[in-house]
Amino acid sequence: MTTMTISGHTYDLDPRRVEQALGGELPEPIYEHFVVINGRRWPPKQVLALVTGLDRADFTTHQARRALTRLGFTAARAARRKNHYTSGSAAARVESADARSGAPGQQSAEALRPFIGQWVAVHGDEVLVAADSPKEIVSWLARHQQKAQSVFRVPESEQFIGGAAPQ
Amino acid sequence: MRFRFRALPAATGGLLTPRPVIDIALEGLEAAPMGCLLDSGALRTRMSAELAPLAGIELAGTLTERFYLGGLETVGSFARVNLTVTDGAEQFTWEAPVWFCDPWPHPFGLAGLEGFLQYFIVTIRAYNEYLDVEPNPEPQNA
Repeated sequence: MTTMTISGHTYDLDPRRVEQALGGELPEPIYEHFVVINGRRWPPKQVLALVTGLDRADFTTHQARRALTRLGFTAARAARRKNHYTSGSAAARVESADARSGAPGQQSAEALRPFIGQWVAVHGDEVLVAADSPKEIVSWLARHQQKAQSVFRVPESEQFIGGAAPQ
Repeated sequence: MRFRFRALPAATGGLLTPRPVIDIALEGLEAAPMGCLLDSGALRTRMSAELAPLAGIELAGTLTERFYLGGLETVGSFARVNLTVTDGAEQFTWEAPVWFCDPWPHPFGLAGLEGFLQYFIVTIRAYNEYLDVEPNPEPQNA
């Protein structure tokens, strides 16, 4: 248990309480900073607001990030997303195709690993959101004005892919 | 338009065999193009029926067919819809017959002959793990 003061309020926090507070929630889009909790990336302010009940205007991203790293969560800065929609050149097509599913593919596949069995919306190598149904995915994209390159369920095995092919 | 095969993780570690997957956006769901497995052996283009109401596609009273897919009995409901495919640099939109299926436990939709392949010239470079998709200048009346 770690005692910390945020926006004039004192909280006793521990990692398990933070993880529990995120149950049933979906991470919002990552613009710059994120923390890793339960194998997913979360905006620090979203997490701290859920845990403390504070309004997000009451603290900064850096305060949230510092509080969560004190609890042992990894924090990092997201790489800027490439723009794939500005050029019609062959080079842009190749770059876009590479970014779409990853070249040589290892990176994008590894990004999907925590979400095996779940629906995901991806953009390049980045998993925008993962959820239990396409409805949740579509709703999240609309709510956060995000555009995915691909939505699918990460298959559990070769059989789950082959199961859709004619027998 | 070029699409690299989809790299996927294996639950047991390592990777699954990369597959030819094309992202097809239903009209109304442009922000969420659905990954569809390219399947030259499939007559129809099929997607989950869950997607139809999300795109505002009315399936009540439409033509249906009952079939087996991967040993699972499924009912497909027919609709003609506008579809869009893009590689980020180019895009192509066409009206196509799609069968919205319930249940659909599969991870991807199916891009088959009717609805997809009849509208495109597809070159598969399986060794190099990518495919090129170009609109067919003489699409069949599907």
